Amino acid sequence: MTYTQVGKPLLRTDAYEKVTGKATYVADIKLPKMLYAKILRAEYAHAKILAIDTSEAEKMPGVRKVVTGQGCEILFGACIKDQPPLAVDKVRHAGEGVAAVIAESEKQAEEATKKIKVDYEPLPFVIDPLEAFKDDSPIIHEQNHEYCRVPGYPPKEGTNIFHHYRQIKGNAEKGFAESDLVVEEEFYYPLLSHVQMEPHGCIACWDSEDSCRIWASTQAPFIVREIVGHMFHIPFANIKVYAPYLGGGFGGKSDVSIEPMVAYIARFVPNHPVRLVLTRKEAFTSSLLGRGMRGKIKVGAKNDGKLVALKAELFYSDGAYGDTGCNVVTASGFVATGPYEYEHCEVDCYGIYTNTPPVGAYRGYGHPEAHLMSERMINILARKLNIPQAELMRKNFLSDGKVNAVGQVIRKGNGDLYQCLDEVEKALFAEPLPSEDADYYYGRGIAGFMKTPMMLPNASSGAIIKMCEDGSFNVSISGIEMGQGCQTTMTQIAAEALKVPVEKIRISKDVDTQFSPYEWQTVGSITTLRVGNAIIQAAERAIQKMKESVAQISHRPVEDLKYEGELIRSKSNKNFEFETKLLALSYLSPEGHGVGEPIETTGHYYIPGVNFPLPEVGGGNCCGSWTFGCEGAEIKISKKSGEVTVNHLAIAIDLGRAINPMGARAQMVGGMMMGYGAALMEEVLFNEKGIMKNPNYNQYKLPRLSNVPEKLTVKLVETPDETGPFGARCIAEHPAISIPPAIMNAIVDATGIDLFEIPIKPKELLAKLGGGQDGDN
Amino acid sequence: MATTNISITVNGRQHDLLVDEKETLLEVLRDRFDLTGTKNACSYGACGACTVVADNEAVKSCLLKPEKYNGKNILTIEGLADGNNLHPIQDAFIKAGAIQCGFCTPGFVMSLYALFTNNLDASDDEIKAVLEKHICRCTGYEFIWDAAKLAQKMLKER
Repeated sequence: MTYTQVGKPLLRTDAYEKVTGKATYVADIKLPKMLYAKILRAEYAHAKILAIDTSEAEKMPGVRKVVTGQGCEILFGACIKDQPPLAVDKVRHAGEGVAAVIAESEKQAEEATKKIKVDYEPLPFVIDPLEAFKDDSPIIHEQNHEYCRVPGYPPKEGTNIFHHYRQIKGNAEKGFAESDLVVEEEFYYPLLSHVQMEPHGCIACWDSEDSCRIWASTQAPFIVREIVGHMFHIPFANIKVYAPYLGGGFGGKSDVSIEPMVAYIARFVPNHPVRLVLTRKEAFTSSLLGRGMRGKIKVGAKNDGKLVALKAELFYSDGAYGDTGCNVVTASGFVATGPYEYEHCEVDCYGIYTNTPPVGAYRGYGHPEAHLMSERMINILARKLNIPQAELMRKNFLSDGKVNAVGQVIRKGNGDLYQCLDEVEKALFAEPLPSEDADYYYGRGIAGFMKTPMMLPNASSGAIIKMCEDGSFNVSISGIEMGQGCQTTMTQIAAEALKVPVEKIRISKDVDTQFSPYEWQTVGSITTLRVGNAIIQAAERAIQKMKESVAQISHRPVEDLKYEGELIRSKSNKNFEFETKLLALSYLSPEGHGVGEPIETTGHYYIPGVNFPLPEVGGGNCCGSWTFGCEGAEIKISKKSGEVTVNHLAIAIDLGRAINPMGARAQMVGGMMMGYGAALMEEVLFNEKGIMKNPNYNQYKLPRLSNVPEKLTVKLVETPDETGPFGARCIAEHPAISIPPAIMNAIVDATGIDLFEIPIKPKELLAKLGGGQDGDN
Repeated sequence: MATTNISITVNGRQHDLLVDEKETLLEVLRDRFDLTGTKNACSYGACGACTVVADNEAVKSCLLKPEKYNGKNILTIEGLADGNNLHPIQDAFIKAGAIQCGFCTPGFVMSLYALFTNNLDASDDEIKAVLEKHICRCTGYEFIWDAAKLAQKMLKER
């Protein structure tokens, strides 16, 4: 099939607004009667609140209201209701909101927060998930087992474990007994901050007791609506959540973060919009973090390289509240194997309360943590078996007819790992690797990945198409444009489906829950697949409607009519053509009658047949879509400093169909550099009091231009997915997944040193190098 | 709070105003003039998102106090295009695909404007040194680098 719009490098449709400063983000919005909030933050990781005195703060200039959590009985959460909008009887992480000041200016609010006095009784705290897992750990939620929760998130009473996902395939112990080689290792993926350039912001205004408007920096306006509706027991229809442009999300603005708190405090000053925009420090300490996993893994293989059994335990530091982390925990369990077939699997993933900011979705959603282990283990196994790693990978890749860990049979249309690995090898090994010299060790590493979007079985996307009387189309969607380029790809999909030039398509640029179509949330790299399919369905319905109108007008059967975009033609009579734009508002006949209906249609899509994971054994048809790929890295390591320089990063991803190859490359490169940051630079650290040590750009180092490798390879492999729009599948999170293990495998290649933790620290690497390790292993 | 009188030209229009002595240029631009194209991402000069041009020099507007911006001629992202005609740097950012979430974009563009205004023959190393002061979390910088090079070429050919 040939396409006219799909596959073209259309320039971003949001670029003009963004390059002229016209694009509006939450912090740019000013509203009549608006007031400003600042939050007093806990300075203890874990402490009882004995008393709060707000009397001095209330007397400060400009102050309209001081709100605390005292007496608040609201707990919110989509799966586990365990979080109050402001701390009530105790604080569970440093940076948690204790009181809010609402004032006429941000500065007045800030000054007043300094006058609030809080008496705390510090409690023992715990940061590390393995410590928090122990029976004698400080307990962060005494009422863990009493919280209202949906089924499938079993807590363990009297512990910090709020969720345990167990997934079984075959019999792991039997598998290990049958294996010729069994290897066991432990890994650590630290807590990271998303560090979206736009700090979180939210404005809430209560127009009456039971209706409010919320402007939020969110990937999930409909989840915000749901949570706020539950919090205040008001009709969801009365809540208007408005999502303007988003300055980066990466999962850290999915579910909810600050919105429940802002909605709560704004209720005390009805008819005033209350705005809170986080400082950069607060974005670190008081929104969401990502990752934070300690893992144990054991794999068994035959001497010929056939993988047999895998047992893994993943312990997640999920922070003070569990709702945003619980499904990340489950998702990592789906992919603990990496993209390989094992006959026997036993995987236990634990969501554990710790005294850090709550942990949630972060680009990759449990997959980077799982792949850190699986892709390092493949490397270790290969060396022990004396089989090249790529050969071991090929021998065990999931492919047509193979059965993954959750029990799904892989289809050809899920993608082609073999081709991806070929492409990465071709790019990575194009030139000979420099030989070790006086200054550097050199090495190359590869790693595979697979990714599935984690979601509710009925998580859906909608689209509304309205034809205008000039033949152009308004297409409303609720996929959030957060930088990933969904407005542009959706423009192409709509133009392709409606057979019109892209200039005739206008995708809605922001979302309003009262007018925009329903969208579960913009997560899991799902927009292309789910919103794309919704647009195609709406377009098909619009085309059908146009044909029906023309049939009525021309007295021809619908089957005789052929839609060609601007014209509808007759298949039997070459001379008949009809301008479709005349149908937009319903056709006005020469006799002065209206004929047919206006061309306004809806479409929706959810992935059919997806279930919640099965009880007891986990798994089942719980993964709605798969994307496969491989990544590679070439590095050099300074013998003097231990510093790792990355010379080449490569990815080959089977994306089914590149709707916009330029946009796809942009996602791949951005994601690989995020993986680079995780591998070599980033880590949220806490001091001896449990307070974050590096909540700023100066200490939490991020990749900058100088970190970008000399060479970046992006190969887009296209094995069409029969369920995707024009064959496309999910791709945006994926490049961040396997760069850390690829770099670590390159370090093994260069030095023979096996690493199990990130970020890779030059001093530690140097110490290991000084230990007599040299060249080949 | 102590206040001070200042005179400032913003995107070609001169203003006299009374500001707080701690009021930053970023606050003046965003809160008083609604020039919200200039972004606040850290407020301590580490990320470059708030960069504007003051007397042809790129400055981090979040750090500048009145004594530093009084009397200056300020150009922000909103003042860069000539009516509907985008400045070549803006055009280059669009064509090279250098924009994703867009929050860092105005800062990058304004820094390059100052660089190329002062030295259109800037070497690759000089361009890199300017871009290094900015953080972008989305793009991985590849297309931003391409945009900078394309902008330089377009400006030379103008």
